[in-house]
Amino acid sequence: MSSRTLALLSLSVACLLGGCAETKDYPSRPITLICPWSPGGGTDQVSRQMAFFLEHELGVPCTVINATGGQGVTGHSRGLKAIPDGYTIGVITFELNTLHWQGLTSLSYRDAIPLISVNEDAAAIWVPKDAPWKTLKDLERDVRNNPGKIKGSGTATGAAWHLALAGWLQSAGLSPDAITWIPMGGADPSIQELFSGGVDLVCCSLPEAKLHYERGDLRALGVMSEETVEGFEEIPTMLEAGYDWTLVGWRGFAVTPGTPDDRVATLTAAMKKIVTGEVSVDGTTFPQFMQQRGFNNRWRERDEFLEFLAENDEKFGTLLSADAFKQLAEGEIGPYDFPKVLGVGLILFAVLLAIELLFKRGDRPEPDLQDNSPQAVVETTTSARIINVSLAIAGIVAYLCLTETIGFVLTASCILLILLLRTGTRPLTAVAITVILVPGVYQLFSGLLRVPLPRGWWGW
Amino acid sequence: MTMLLAETSGALSTALTNVFSIETLLTILLCGLFGLFVGSIPGLTATMAVALIVPLTFFLSDVSAIAAIVTLTAVCIFAGDIPTTLVRIPGTPSSAAYTDDAYALCRQGRHTDALATSLMFSVLGGLFGTALLCLFAPQLAAFAKTSFSTYENFWLYAIGLSCAAVVSSDSRIQGAISLILGMLCSMVGLSEVHSQPRFTFGSDEMLTGIHFIPAMIGLFGVSEVLRGMWKLDRSADDSVSQTEVPEANLSLFAMIGSCFRRLFKRPIAALRSCSLGTLIGMVPGAGADIAAWISYSISKKLSPTPEEYGKGSADSIADASSANNSSLAGAWIPALVLGIPGDSVTAILIGVLMMKNITPGPEIFLEEKQQTLVYGIYLSFIVANLMLIPLGYLGIRASRWILRVPRRILLPVILLFCIVGSYSISGTQFDVLLMLAFGLLGFVLEHYRFPLGPVVLGILLGAELEKSFVQNLTKDPSLLEFFSRPVAATLGTLCLLLWLYPLIRMIWRFARRTSGHADT
Repeated sequence: MSSRTLALLSLSVACLLGGCAETKDYPSRPITLICPWSPGGGTDQVSRQMAFFLEHELGVPCTVINATGGQGVTGHSRGLKAIPDGYTIGVITFELNTLHWQGLTSLSYRDAIPLISVNEDAAAIWVPKDAPWKTLKDLERDVRNNPGKIKGSGTATGAAWHLALAGWLQSAGLSPDAITWIPMGGADPSIQELFSGGVDLVCCSLPEAKLHYERGDLRALGVMSEETVEGFEEIPTMLEAGYDWTLVGWRGFAVTPGTPDDRVATLTAAMKKIVTGEVSVDGTTFPQFMQQRGFNNRWRERDEFLEFLAENDEKFGTLLSADAFKQLAEGEIGPYDFPKVLGVGLILFAVLLAIELLFKRGDRPEPDLQDNSPQAVVETTTSARIINVSLAIAGIVAYLCLTETIGFVLTASCILLILLLRTGTRPLTAVAITVILVPGVYQLFSGLLRVPLPRGWWGW
Repeated sequence: MTMLLAETSGALSTALTNVFSIETLLTILLCGLFGLFVGSIPGLTATMAVALIVPLTFFLSDVSAIAAIVTLTAVCIFAGDIPTTLVRIPGTPSSAAYTDDAYALCRQGRHTDALATSLMFSVLGGLFGTALLCLFAPQLAAFAKTSFSTYENFWLYAIGLSCAAVVSSDSRIQGAISLILGMLCSMVGLSEVHSQPRFTFGSDEMLTGIHFIPAMIGLFGVSEVLRGMWKLDRSADDSVSQTEVPEANLSLFAMIGSCFRRLFKRPIAALRSCSLGTLIGMVPGAGADIAAWISYSISKKLSPTPEEYGKGSADSIADASSANNSSLAGAWIPALVLGIPGDSVTAILIGVLMMKNITPGPEIFLEEKQQTLVYGIYLSFIVANLMLIPLGYLGIRASRWILRVPRRILLPVILLFCIVGSYSISGTQFDVLLMLAFGLLGFVLEHYRFPLGPVVLGILLGAELEKSFVQNLTKDPSLLEFFSRPVAATLGTLCLLLWLYPLIRMIWRFARRTSGHADT
């Protein structure tokens, strides 16, 4: 037994030491990309592809983490507030220019060192094939005559495509609420709603509606790019139709301010080589991937990207600060109306429960099934029970407090060992389980699944 | 037509290669072994097993992830029968209905017969449920596609959530409180329809809201660990069975043969139990345990020998175990077609699919590009249920060892996996904190007999319900519009009846009780 334990111990130590050889060269350990949107979506696909090529170019593992939610705030803030050592890259998107104007975060493009943008997809206004409007002018006339009658959708209120539509309305001299916006979860459900007659038009990006456009189910009245887009040549731009409005959804990469200049330069150079197609892995390049998925492969490097960000920021500042738009965001049903209904419901049912308990005190059903097991019969003193439960809770709290400093492996081993000993496991068995399991779990998650588990002082 | 056929067969062959890939088959095998273990150990539920593997499914392909969940639940529900039969402790609540029968058979020395019956009829139930899933899901999807707008969605969510509150507990009031707690949790964070933060206390991390996966690991994993720690006795031998477990030696072929004979003796009963199980599975909130109970009682009522029930009737085991396994597939029908989970496991499934950017809804059955996924789901069900035969056989043979694993070792290990699992989804300590909070919530709620299923459904669907509510009122501020379309009106009336029924019954009961008092 002891020789086997020893062998396993040395094996696991060897596994661990493999990961903690740190040198001064950059990059020498895994790089993490923080993607603010969910797996499988456009931004995630682009990020993962970039990570894949970056891994080949830089020679260290590059992992994408999806920090979703909060309409992008969560991911952007994690990416741009990371330790400025060049090992965390933030994936930034269009929303970086709008979220802070909406008061959802204080984060703006000024809190980032933009590296490169890799993609720009223009928004367009889509209608069903049998819709009465042939051009933007037709639509404008109809909206002017019947303000608020026409319903549109594409995203949540105040998100990218809603701004796109509102911007067009404003450039046509109309109020942003002249088209009633029905908030939807994204382009797909909006198009579904368009087909079932729930809305009259959808505003979303070209690739999102590509399938339906090619099938002939949807027509586009105008696209918000500066020039006509390859593959969508029939769609006129808004500029051509006489409206001073462009809007593109873009995706790019940035790092936290304070990152050493040479590291910023290394990353930018690597990414530029990738987006220009100089790097090919297994015969494919990044631009080929982008084209295949229908993403526009327009890129902007450092200063040009920064300029583009500043310009966009100003544009959305004007749009989102307009009084008409602020009113629009208020909506009919306030954000606290539904929680209030729930609160009232909770109080109501709590009162009902109290009444019920008063009426049938004593005739509650006997203990549930699992209490038939022998454990329930065994007498355990209450104080021992409380210590047991508190120790389990303390284990989780210890993980929260300690992993970032002393690393995953040490923390997890301590927690497991203490809990095992407390539950009455024989010390030797407890040590054996800990020594086998913790490095095993570390290798499974950190090695196989590539989750960056907290590294701590010694890198594990 | 030929083009359609070609497309279909193309999607089917891609799905076949996906399902029969090394990754998927290995996933099925490993999940099957894990399910055998978890299902055989009383106190560890199928939902907890799924909660623990969800962080891993995040890293698998879509089809493998689905296959993992299907296999795990099917095997878990069967494996629950093993300790039920051998030591009279239901491994999962779904086996509780026929505990007495199974153990009585064991006492008569017929435990191999009992286990073989429950295994083979579990497989039969699972396959039958799968057949219904393949037949009805696309039909329902086609119907939903043409007639469901935001109004219908609102009523569907409302009915789904209310059913969950009503069915999942003895006390409807406690079910409702659980549900509302869950829905309130879903309100935290940035409201999607309003683009405004709620209950975030100014923190960027709270804008994300309550992340479903860590919340669920907390509710089902951590709370179980805490409960286990509460009951634990350090000095006693705490493996499941202190007494000798009877040895279960049976031949695979004899087992299959005897079960076919049993099936041909009572084909109508098998058909009845399977259909019943699938139907009950479709009702939100009602899962395998309720399916087993109802099938058991109906089987007893219609049986020519009702006096045998509870004293060792193999028929009862056949009927109830086919019902509990067929309900698993049934639960997937509303989950995949309408996005309304039939039980806690499918609620987790929806969470996983959304994490992988697949939004359950009629579209996944109707769009060509999703055909591969749909066939993949069907095939996973078939493969998982067929794999249940060898896996279950293995489980029966290995039962003596599984039942001797001490709980004192399991609890800390499960806790470790809960922590790593929650952390790994998005690599943040905040999720671990969330898991702890929900673990405590789950522990307290369970202690006072509040059901946990509705909490999960509330977290998952609360914001959706609100969204469709706001969408409807933005379209037209009148509440009457909620009943303006024929399907919406039907669903709405159904929902109102569901809400008012307990109230009416309560008033009636109260009136009867007080009049009873007056009489005496």
